[in-house]
Amino acid sequence: MIRFFLILLLAALGALMLQFYIPPLAFMYGARVLLLPLVFFFGALALPFPAMLALAFACGLMWDALTAQVLDIGMGPTSARVVEIGMGWSCLLYAVLGSLMCGFKPLFQRGRWEIHCLLSGVCTSVIVLAEFLMISVRRAAFYNVPFEVHRDIWWRIGGPGLVALVLAPVFFFFLKSMAALVGYNTSAPEIEEEEA
Amino acid sequence: MRRFSIFALVVFILAVGGLFALGPSGTQRVQTSFLGMITPFFTTGSDLERKVTAVRQGLKTLQELEAENKELAVSNKELQAINQTLRDLEAENNRLRNAMQYRERAAFQLVPARVIARDASSWWNTIKIDRGSADGVESDMPVLTESGLVGKTTFVAEHSANVILISDENCKVASSIEGSREQGIISGERASSTGQPALCMRFLSKTANLKPDQKVYSSGVGGVYPAGVFIGAIKEFRVRELDGYATLVPAVDLTTLEDVFVVLGKK
Repeated sequence: MIRFFLILLLAALGALMLQFYIPPLAFMYGARVLLLPLVFFFGALALPFPAMLALAFACGLMWDALTAQVLDIGMGPTSARVVEIGMGWSCLLYAVLGSLMCGFKPLFQRGRWEIHCLLSGVCTSVIVLAEFLMISVRRAAFYNVPFEVHRDIWWRIGGPGLVALVLAPVFFFFLKSMAALVGYNTSAPEIEEEEA
Repeated sequence: MRRFSIFALVVFILAVGGLFALGPSGTQRVQTSFLGMITPFFTTGSDLERKVTAVRQGLKTLQELEAENKELAVSNKELQAINQTLRDLEAENNRLRNAMQYRERAAFQLVPARVIARDASSWWNTIKIDRGSADGVESDMPVLTESGLVGKTTFVAEHSANVILISDENCKVASSIEGSREQGIISGERASSTGQPALCMRFLSKTANLKPDQKVYSSGVGGVYPAGVFIGAIKEFRVRELDGYATLVPAVDLTTLEDVFVVLGKK
């Protein structure tokens, strides 16, 4: 299990790096391709609950370390530095969504992936939506803008989910093969661990 | 097993609580360490991307290369001549300013940097560059290209730095408009209807009456960005309830940035 967990960590880092070289999709009005959540969601299905939490922490930390913004508020003697969205929110978000995925584990263990691929897409969009809501609350800027801009915002939320939905089977197949390569049985991790 | 899960949950909550408790400096320390750790991967990825692009774009015939070479040689001579003229003018300008007891306006000290990664998130606009604290780069240093302002550095690792672009909602630049006494604050938009990064200028007077294509420069107020750096041109001006609001076309194409300069200070 430890070897497979390390593989998932490396895969998460690789997916994170790869995301930076994939340009926004113009035909989806600037939607991004998010690969890190896909690796995590597979981990949530294949790993026992404690390992899923550890993976959620690692993925959330990596994401926050690259996106958290420290802002200067005010000027002169009243100026202060604040973190816009504190580190740790993504860990929490990943853990909640991972727990949700855990609920669908029995079906996954029986070799059915369709619900999980669909759920991966939905959960990826939920991550982007949660980020949007958090920065909107933090910046006190809910949008009152023309429809064209709303369309872009909705595409940016829904687009990554659609892409994740398409890519999920490929990722799941690849990661399942990696698990088999290191002799980890993704179908029954709890039973295996209890036996050990 | 269940007891172990509860124990893991408690440890997870404590760890996340620890992250929440990090202040701005703690957050930047974590960001700097992580960026430092992954910089070699970014640099390798960027090199690979450039090589692939170069192979794709570099397939030219000998005639095309000869023609391009001739064109570049002519352009080089022209630029040398213009550069010499500008140097003379700069020296003359400084002499005159000195004579008028104005502070001598020195040119900036620039460090060239390469973009090694673009942002992967939906709501933040940042890039990573291959210069860091080892090259004298610090946080809150302006970043520009020969065409105009790009943004400013935020957290800096030893050999790389994170740059927030002017198209980000959190990047605010005090600016002034050419041929007008109007001043305002420029910031990015979270999303735009064109798919391209958009800038907007707020806090203009309602009577500003700005025309399309008027140029906008940084005003130097605030101390981060030097005055007189080209930011963009007015696209549209409209009057709102309390102020005037203008949308801008950025001077720099922020989607295809490859090489930038970090302003270290004055020479």
